[in-house]
Amino acid sequence: MAAAVSNKPQQDWADDDDGIEEPSTELPPVQTISNKDGTKTIISYRINEDGQKVKTTRRVRYITQRETVNPRVADRKSWSKFGQSEKDGAGPAPDTTSIAENMIFRPSINWRKDAKEEMGEQEQLKDKLKDKKVKCRICNGEHFTARCPYKDTMAPVGGTADPAAAPIGEDPALSAGPGPGAAGAKKGSYVPPALRGAGGAAAAGRGESMGGKFGDRDDLATLRVTNVSEMAEEGELRDMFERFGRVTRVFLAKDRETGLAKGFAFISFVDRSDAEKACAKMDGFGFKHLILRVEFAKKAAQ
Amino acid sequence: MVAMPSEPCQELTQSPRYNLDGDIIFSVAKDQHICAWYSHNGERLGTYHGHVGAIWTVDVDPTTTMIASGSADNTIRLWDVKSAKNLKTWEFPTAVKRVEFSEDGTKLLGVTEKRMGYLSNIVVFDINPDPAAEQTDERALTIVCDESKATVAGFSYLNRYIIAGHEDGSVSQYDAKTGELIDNIPIHELNQPIVDLQWNADRTYFITACKDKSAKLVAARDLTVLKTYPADTPLNSATITPKKDFVILGGGQAAMDVTRTSARQGKFEARFYHKIFEDEIGRVRGHFGPLNTVAADPTGKSYASGGEDGYVRVHHFDKGYFDFLYEVERERINRMS
Repeated sequence: MAAAVSNKPQQDWADDDDGIEEPSTELPPVQTISNKDGTKTIISYRINEDGQKVKTTRRVRYITQRETVNPRVADRKSWSKFGQSEKDGAGPAPDTTSIAENMIFRPSINWRKDAKEEMGEQEQLKDKLKDKKVKCRICNGEHFTARCPYKDTMAPVGGTADPAAAPIGEDPALSAGPGPGAAGAKKGSYVPPALRGAGGAAAAGRGESMGGKFGDRDDLATLRVTNVSEMAEEGELRDMFERFGRVTRVFLAKDRETGLAKGFAFISFVDRSDAEKACAKMDGFGFKHLILRVEFAKKAAQ
Repeated sequence: MVAMPSEPCQELTQSPRYNLDGDIIFSVAKDQHICAWYSHNGERLGTYHGHVGAIWTVDVDPTTTMIASGSADNTIRLWDVKSAKNLKTWEFPTAVKRVEFSEDGTKLLGVTEKRMGYLSNIVVFDINPDPAAEQTDERALTIVCDESKATVAGFSYLNRYIIAGHEDGSVSQYDAKTGELIDNIPIHELNQPIVDLQWNADRTYFITACKDKSAKLVAARDLTVLKTYPADTPLNSATITPKKDFVILGGGQAAMDVTRTSARQGKFEARFYHKIFEDEIGRVRGHFGPLNTVAADPTGKSYASGGEDGYVRVHHFDKGYFDFLYEVERERINRMS
């Protein structure tokens, strides 16, 4: 067994490509098998557009069709073959003639439109973009915005018209000319969201940061509960903590895929004193075989 | 639509041509023999041997008794169709790029290449239609094309004119008796060679195929351009289909660029245009290389295309092809009946 394997010429990985390509250049001859029911099976090989070898098996039924033709044509049909075909028998010789696949051809006035629909999506996109030109957002010129010669002196077209879209805090500074603060001085350079409006009046814009919609309430009366069981439900937690006061929000982190709890939760109270009570009582409480750990939620790091 | 045999020949480049009854197709390729095929089933009838160079062109006389071929071995040869006997050989200083019989088969025209200091000539021989008779050595006419090389030529209706297509994109009209130049009109883009010229059934007008990516239908009488068919690729051939008012254009990327393009991008398709409305109405795929020649069956039942891939594909039309009508055509038929 081992000898048989070693007899095979070892193929180097570098020769791999040649090994694949070699058989594709030589195609096996066409095979024709006559079936019992009068049909013939023709097995032929060809190389397709991607250079892959394709085996085609076709069953063909030959039907003799009677046709009335001009006597000249009939006479020519009876001519004996000559030249290289001298020895060929009646009927098409398989080495010179092969039957091709049936081509579908439906003449159509809307041919171009139909063909477009057939075209791949990518080609369609290419087609769509063919006439598109690069357009600068600042001066509408035919170059990328980043290459605009007016980049440092002009604002993007339509950018200042919509105050909501404009960066907060920067807009008033701009309209006041090269006004006070760092933001106004270096227009165009990137300002992280946290620092936007820093040049303005203190931390007015700081609410932009995450969780802004819950306001300060979050920081003051929110408990963080950890070591929560996987099987816990938000409802159960709400029941447990509502004993100490009004709970505005229960958030239990869950795995998106499995739907199981991740092991921590946030509970927000209306009143901070209730939260303090709950924190004292519930820390160390046994819940579903696990001991809860409850503490005040820390403020998000600034 | 069409089920059809296709016929591989060993060498690249195929140019098929039907006889008048549409039952036999003659094809030539860069291998050195002519093949005759039955068009109905693709069976090869025989081959004609004798040329010692690539064969550029073949034509058959109206009675299918003789064929003429022009070759890179600088000869035009005349053959007996049935016996494959070489009846006559005419020698020239340069290669022969085109031969064509006149409508009645009594004249044969050849176009010679411009090379080695020789100008391109259009030569005409009188042909004795009897294959047993001796053929003349004398040229009935020689037209020297000193302005721009003639690439294609043919006899118009009643052998009145010789129409030639030139390398510079113009067509010329010569008097077929005297050889005098009557007119020369640039119909295609300047210096884009006209590569094919095929007649309609009564030879009153013809279609030109040009490398400028268009084909034009031109009247033989005054060389007015009747119709233009724009394509998206350089054309190699164009033909007019009998029975239906279509034209078929064949072309594709130049042979030297083929290896760099896929079959789809290469646009190796036969394009069907409506002859009168000039709309493209469909394409037929199948070749793996540019189409060198398209030829319509004079009976209108099929067409053949020869490709750079070495195949002649014979496509037989089915009912959907014959039933296709424009709305205006249908209305007109309804009114008439």
